[in-house]
Amino acid sequence: MAFNRKKNKPFEGDTVALDTVDLSYDGATPVLSAVNLALPQSSFHFLTGASGAGKSSLLSLLYLAKRPTAGSLKLFGEDVTGASRNKLAGLRRRLGVVFQDYRLLDHLSAFDNVALPLRIARVPEAVVTQDVTELLKWVGLAEQMDAHPPTLSGGQKQRVAIARAVVNRPKLILADEPTGNVDDTIAVRLMALFVELHKLGSSVVVATHNESLVSRFPFPRLHLDGGRLTLLPPLKPAASILGEG
Amino acid sequence: MALFGRTDLPIQKNAASRFIQWLVMVLVFMAAIAATVNAYTGSLLAHWNRSVTGTLTVQVPAPMEKPGKPNDVPKDVAAVLGVLKIHPDVLRVEAVPRAKVVALLEPWLGSGEAVSDLPLPALVDVALKPGTDTRGVTDAIMKAAPTALVDDHRVWLNRVGNLAEGVGMIALALMGIIAAALGLTVIFATRASLAEFRDVIEVLHLVGARDDDIAGQFARRALGQATAGGLLGLALYAPTLGVIALLARRVDTSVLPNVGLPIAHWALLASLPIVAGVLAMGAAHVTVRRALRTMV
Repeated sequence: MAFNRKKNKPFEGDTVALDTVDLSYDGATPVLSAVNLALPQSSFHFLTGASGAGKSSLLSLLYLAKRPTAGSLKLFGEDVTGASRNKLAGLRRRLGVVFQDYRLLDHLSAFDNVALPLRIARVPEAVVTQDVTELLKWVGLAEQMDAHPPTLSGGQKQRVAIARAVVNRPKLILADEPTGNVDDTIAVRLMALFVELHKLGSSVVVATHNESLVSRFPFPRLHLDGGRLTLLPPLKPAASILGEG
Repeated sequence: MALFGRTDLPIQKNAASRFIQWLVMVLVFMAAIAATVNAYTGSLLAHWNRSVTGTLTVQVPAPMEKPGKPNDVPKDVAAVLGVLKIHPDVLRVEAVPRAKVVALLEPWLGSGEAVSDLPLPALVDVALKPGTDTRGVTDAIMKAAPTALVDDHRVWLNRVGNLAEGVGMIALALMGIIAAALGLTVIFATRASLAEFRDVIEVLHLVGARDDDIAGQFARRALGQATAGGLLGLALYAPTLGVIALLARRVDTSVLPNVGLPIAHWALLASLPIVAGVLAMGAAHVTVRRALRTMV
């Protein structure tokens, strides 16, 4: 497990490897400083920290919306510095992102929103229909497939956003407050989905400041404070989930 | 859902892209008119070229003494006719009857006594065998009647040719301007759409769309809009051409002969919507590709 490895040093084959990464939006005030991070394949981490600590900034580095101001960032073993735009697009297809503000396309139905990553990756339409339908049923939106985002509640939108993030069975899942707008029962159900994908081999990072959620799962925490990242042990001892599994 | 034509952008209902369709309609209409003017001038020139090539008009000045009987043939004219009738290069030779000369002058001088009293030159129409040079025949005529004027219509034809060339160049320039206007319009409309859909494009990028995928969507849209606009432009052009042809038919055929337009012209017209579509597609693709470089 990542948190057992010394100093969290990057390792060949890691899904994510950040080496002394700085990020600054204006060139002066650092948002992230000297961040080292290695996420092995099939890992699960919470990302915690107060608002403004840099959680969303770190995630935006990982989903390639931002480039590091200094340091190196490797995704699936590929250095993203100087990578072509097509290369970046290819890397993005291997990750799934749940945005805090969902970022659904209002002119598309819930079904088409979820289908988007598959269609962009040119997955045959028969497969798209089957996978999307199944997933939307699973997140409890069977009735809302043809609804457009503006007519959905916050929680429903969040579930569409999660479905879109995982429909492509990504190798890396980044979720920014994915359970912020749903009640606890649904939150646990959605977390179970992430855990399931994690068990199937995806690396998962869930940013949240919901302590009760964090305390229910035996996953290590990446904690951000003033732009510095520290690795903390799980709030829940690992033994109890081993008992479950 | 077919991949071709699939779009994740709400550009179908977008005002900017619909605007392209109407503008292309007007532009293609204008281009079609310009092309037709160009083709008609070219055909006219070819028509005149064909009808005067290999012909000469010989003018033999009238003797200064009063003409005798109307059907008298002056000495010089007889000499010219005599030479031409036996010349190997000559296909046909014919003296223009005096009545016809008078008729030709009627629009300018009126009819009646005044004209019939005038010392009119005699005209001889000569048709040469195809491919022969006018020089040998001209020399023979000049030897027989040194005062004769031989007109092989070259000067006139050259002037008409220059006019046709000028018209052709203007038409070509006009089509260039139209193409530029089309390109610029597509560029600006595409930029407007890009700004409008910035958020959507960002999401598409974040879920793995390549620049080409997104540019392709804009380009396909531009292709469809411009081709549709081009077809509308041709639909507008057809009745306009009909009306012009109808009006032209009322004009004397010696001024505007009823010449057919070449097949190539109709092929060009038919290709205009496609050309407009491809042009719009290219402009949209390049514009989007450039703009996307600065995006996520």
